[in-house]
This record gives sequence, structure tokens and C-alpha cells, in this order.
Amino acid sequence: MGEITVTINGSQLSGSEGMTILEAAQENGIDIPTLCHRPELTPIGACRICVVEVEGSRTLVGSCHTPITQGMVIYTHSPKVLETRKVIVELLLASHCGSCFMCDKANVCELRRIAADLEVGLPRFRVRKRYYPIEDVSPYIVRDLTKCILCRRCVRACNEIKKARVFGIAYRGFDSKVVVDFDQPIDKDVCQDCDVCISFCPTGALSRVKKLGEEKKGKALVISS
Amino acid sequence: MIPTQGKKQEDLLILLEEAQNKLGYLPEELMAELAKSLDMSISDVYGVATFYSFLSTKPQGRNVIRICKCLPCLLKNAQAIIESVERETGIKPGETAPDGKFSFELTNCIGACDEAPAMMLNNEVHVNLTPGKISQILKACK
Amino acid sequence: MPEKWIVLRNCGVIDPKRITTYLDRDGFKALKKALAEMPPEQIIEEIKVSGLRGRGGAGFPCGLKWELARKAQGDEKYVICNADEGEVGTFKDRYILERDPFTLIEAMAIAGYAIGAKRGYIYLRAEYHHLLDLLGKAISQAREKGFLDHFEIAIHEGAGSYICGEESALMESIEGKRGEVRYRPPFPPSRGLWGKPTIINNVETLMNIPQVILNGAHWFNQIGTERSKGTKVFSVSGDVKKPGVYELVLGSQLRELVMDLALAEKVKIIQVGGATGRIIPYDMIDTPLSFETILGAGAITVFDESRDIIDIVHRTIEFLAEECCGKCAPCREGTEVMAEILERFSCGEGVERDIGVLEELSNAMMLSSLCGLGQAAPNPVVDSLQYFRSAYESRIRKN
Repeated sequence: MGEITVTINGSQLSGSEGMTILEAAQENGIDIPTLCHRPELTPIGACRICVVEVEGSRTLVGSCHTPITQGMVIYTHSPKVLETRKVIVELLLASHCGSCFMCDKANVCELRRIAADLEVGLPRFRVRKRYYPIEDVSPYIVRDLTKCILCRRCVRACNEIKKARVFGIAYRGFDSKVVVDFDQPIDKDVCQDCDVCISFCPTGALSRVKKLGEEKKGKALVISS
Repeated sequence: MIPTQGKKQEDLLILLEEAQNKLGYLPEELMAELAKSLDMSISDVYGVATFYSFLSTKPQGRNVIRICKCLPCLLKNAQAIIESVERETGIKPGETAPDGKFSFELTNCIGACDEAPAMMLNNEVHVNLTPGKISQILKACK
Repeated sequence: MPEKWIVLRNCGVIDPKRITTYLDRDGFKALKKALAEMPPEQIIEEIKVSGLRGRGGAGFPCGLKWELARKAQGDEKYVICNADEGEVGTFKDRYILERDPFTLIEAMAIAGYAIGAKRGYIYLRAEYHHLLDLLGKAISQAREKGFLDHFEIAIHEGAGSYICGEESALMESIEGKRGEVRYRPPFPPSRGLWGKPTIINNVETLMNIPQVILNGAHWFNQIGTERSKGTKVFSVSGDVKKPGVYELVLGSQLRELVMDLALAEKVKIIQVGGATGRIIPYDMIDTPLSFETILGAGAITVFDESRDIIDIVHRTIEFLAEECCGKCAPCREGTEVMAEILERFSCGEGVERDIGVLEELSNAMMLSSLCGLGQAAPNPVVDSLQYFRSAYESRIRKN
């Protein structure tokens, strides 16, 4: 494997051949936000939150799937990049449920964390939410697709890790939806002692059926003045 | 319903197209059967079936009318054609007639803009439409 | 600059059902010449020197694409002809396929030999189902005559999806899947259909190949402008007296095409390149048509003074929202939000800050969308805000 030298945010760094921009950045302590990407899963480049500026490229590029090449000059937090990420988060929030104060995912929600980090609040456009009834037929898993941001992490986790192929993507465009069979409420025995998809969901779209006496998730939210 | 011997996952779209042509729509039993014989999940088969606008997972009329609603046709008064189809068939876009004779849809550009307004009736393209022509064409349908 | 028929030279001249009429017009001579006298590298060099660029909209140099695929490692390689023209207002490929399927077949056979592929696909949109039979028969006639001994061509029919004209979505569709786009790199010449080196060329691009081989790169190179060689086939529709297909030398003026040939009157707006193309006012009708200026896939839709720009943009964005594959967030959510804003403007319910929002949205979509559709989807919004801003301002709701 050859060594590749790149410049990220003005500093010369080295990485190995085949590495993505995201990996090279992370290895050097540069944090790029991601939503659809997880190192355990095949990259798909769907959410576009991880876009970065590469000199000589007409558009921004997805850092989770673009390999580094020799001499690449990359900016991970330029004004252009930040403005774009903000609009994407704003778009995702516009069709997202929006009732964070009563969502179980609370302060461990990745969308909410990224929105806070980029200082994105209420979307400026009239929102067009996707409304789906909550699916609580299964004794093991609750799906609230109104909170789904179509990152497909559940689909990939189920296919690639559990190999149970429970989920698929159906319909097209804005109507795209993570479905089970013929778009039926989830109720599969295979989900009994799994939880893989739940652990991969960045928002509150997938959760366990609530039981009493469970430990609190994440750190307690502390509001200091 | 559709022979799948020796077929692979890559043949899925072709098989769905075949079934659509033969049965007029894609019944759930068929999709489940395809999933089984191609070793795929039902959700993946359903995902492909619902992506393409010429595939339908709900029963369709014996004749599917698709009027082009893109700009070149609209400029040539496609709206009048849409209205005359509504009058002739008694159904609105997105509906299927109760007697199962017609399904009526609006579709995106069908590449007949030089002879707008245009429509597809099943697999046939009809061009330079007028309300009079619509009436004739639809009368000839079985 | 004049009309010139390179791509359309056989259209209306030969009988598309009879290969003999094609043979009488130098048919398959280029293939014979290529196979007998030219090593693959020489063919590719010839195409490169000719300056031929892709006619599907992106304008990528054809010879370079072939060279990359030729040099790529792979036990199998593929040639794909993109006959999925779905851009609103485009019908030139249909016109060509209806009248001259043989040139396309010859070109694909040459392409196969040049890059080392044994198999080719024609991806035909479902709306062109009526051409299936004609194309199939043309392929079998070519096979019977022994022109396809080295190369097999299959037709793959689409099922109603504009995005499948996008090369990566098209390959997904041939693989039997949802027509969702892939990220790049890798690009198709290194990893395309089933992960194998693949070239994807538009119908019109391929139609030029036999003439380039027969007449030489220099002959082709003399036609057109500095960076736009050869001719372009245009589909003209809308408010014109003579809608139809026209082939002009690249660099010809839009005026010549719209006013002199298609006989438009009282023109207000011209959409060049379909839904993802550019929208320009009549003032700019003296713009030359080339890769350097405006071109797209050659769809020209003309709107006269009675038409409303906001309505045009609204319907265009609605089309794109319907046809978006749904994979990447900026395009999936952005087209939907844009359509909603434009709908309000079209009924006089715009809000002051919407204009800024539209601009920011456009910018983000152009910069971050996964494919050409999402990146070009804001074009009609951006152009109309530039040239027809007052139309937006007059639709802002007054309290």
C-alpha cells in the first residue's frame, strides 16, 4: 500500500492508498459530520452531510466515499462547505418530525446534535413532513417513520451484519420509504433478539419496546447558564 | 405465473415488466413468488416494483391511458385533452373505472413533443390529439 | 451556419426495416474498415482527434471515455447505448431510431471492438416501446449479415423513470434494481455495469462514429467551433410553427434554429436543454449553440409572450421532484421544498425571504447532490431569478 500525501485545511497529511477523505481526516483528528455513514457499513453517499471542498472539483464531494489521491487539496470546514451542510440539515429537519422535546432519542439523536453543532434551528421553509402511523405491532421493535431521515443505516445493518434482509427501500423521490415486505408494519420473529438496526438508527425512528427499569441513555442533559 | 427457471436477481426488472404486460399489474403473490425463486427479500422486490412508474402494484384497467403533462404538451393545450378523457371515461387522473375498462394517469414527457399533445394508450403512442380524436380512439377500445 | 446532416444523413433516405438500403449508403463500411485496417488504439486515437464529445448533455470527450475503458483491467467489458432520452422536450433519439437503427448498431459494434467488449446493451425507455420490434429486427439483420460476429447487442427496456437516463441509475436498472444513482468515483469506464469497465454513450454520439471512421478525424474536426466539433441534433417544440428535429453545425445561433427554421414568433422565453437545462430570455437569442455556451441534450422549448415564467419554472421543478430517485437528501428534499415555494409564487402567495431561500437552496443542491439531476435541478430557478426576477417580486403577497 502506497503512502499518499494530501493537504487538509492547509496542513500536509499522509494517508494510505484506498483511504477515503473522511478516514484520512478522522485519523488526523479532523471531525467531519456524518449521518448515513458508519464505518461498519458499505458507504452509500446519501445524506451529503459529509461533503467537503476539493480544489479543482466543480462540486463538493462526499468524503465518506471519495478516496484520497496524491496531492489532493481538501477543505473540510470552508464557508462553502458549512453553508451547504446547514441547508442540508435544514432540509432534513423540515420533513422530520420536529417534536424533539418528547422524543425518546433526546440528546443522543445524531440529527439533533449535528443541527445544534451547525446552529440550525427552525427551517425557514414551510415544512412538508412525512406522516406515518407509529408501528408498534412487534413485541420487539417500534418504528416511527415520521422521524426517519432515509439514511438507510437500518437497511444496511440488517442486510450486512444480521443478514436478515428485513428492510428495503420502496417508492421514489420524496415518497421513498424504508419498508418491510409489501410496506407492512414490522413484525418479524427474526427481530426477537437482535436490535442491530435500532443501534444504527441515528434518530428516534427505531426503538425498543419500552420496558420498566431501564437505564438512561447517553449523558444527562445539563443546561448551564 | 411467470417462468423463473434459470433466472437471476439481475432479471428481476425484466420479469416484473413481463408480468406487468401479461397481467396488467403485479399481484402480491407474484412478487412473493419472484422473491422466493430469485432468493431476494420481498421488500427488495417491492422496492423495484414501486420505483418505476410503468409498473403497478394495484389492478389496472384493461386499457391504460397516459396523457403527457409536461410543458411542450401543456403549451398545446393538453389540459383540454385531459378534460375530454375525463368526460369520455368518467374517471379522473389516478383512477380506474369501476367496470375495469380504463385506468387514467398523467405521465411525464413521452418524447413526442413535436406532435403535441400526445398520450400513450397501453404501449401505443398517439399524437396531435384533439378532443374529437380522443373520443374516436377511446371508442375503439375494448 | 448551415444545417448539415452527419447524424441524420440516412434519416428519411433508407428504409429502417431493410438493411440492404443501409448497405447502399456505405452501411457497415466503417466497421469493415475498422476491423480490417485499424487496431483498437488507432480507432480510439481517431475519435480523440476528431474532438467528438458526448451528446447526452454532459459533453465528455468520447475518445477519452473509450480510452479509459480500453485501458481498464477487466475480463469483461460492456458498451451501453443510452436511448433513455427523458429530458422534457427531447425526442431526437426517437426520431433517429425510427429512421436509422443500423448506423447505431454499426457504431456499437465499432465501440465494442475498440474497447474490447463482446456485449452491448441498448437501454430503451419504456415510452419508446413501439421501437422495440424495429430495433430488434435491425439487430437480427445485422447479425445475419455477419456484422455482429464479434459483438452481441441486447435491448433492455426501461419501465418509466427519467432518472434512468443518468448513467449510473441506468446501469442499476440494467442490473434489475431500482434506478438509483451511484456515487463516483469509480466512473463507469473503470467500474460500470456489474462492476466491469463500461462505456455509456448517447444515441446521437454513437451515430457520429461511422462517419468519423470513414472520413477521418480531420474531416470531423473542421466542423464546428474550437471546443465543439461536428453537428448537434436539436428537438424543437413549444410555441413554434415548425416543431421537429434539426441538425446544425455546432456554433450555429439559437436565432437561426428558433426563428428561421422552426418559425417562432413573439418569443419571450427559451428553455435550452429541457428540465435541467437553462432558461434564457429572448434578448439572448443570438447566443451560439455549443458546449462553450449552452447546449444540453439539445431540447429547445420555445415560449411566446403569453406564457408565465413562474408557471414554467414551477412545472419544471415539479417534474424533477417527481423523477428524483430519492437517494440523496439535498435533491430529494430540495426539489420538494422548491416546488412548494414556487407553487405559492404562482398564485401570488410568495414571501419576501423566499427568494433568498431559493437562492441558498439552489446553491446547496448544485454543490452537494449526488448526481447530475440534483446538481442541475436548480438551473431553472437560478436562471429565472437572474433574468425574470421582477416576475417573482410581483408575486410577493402584499399585506
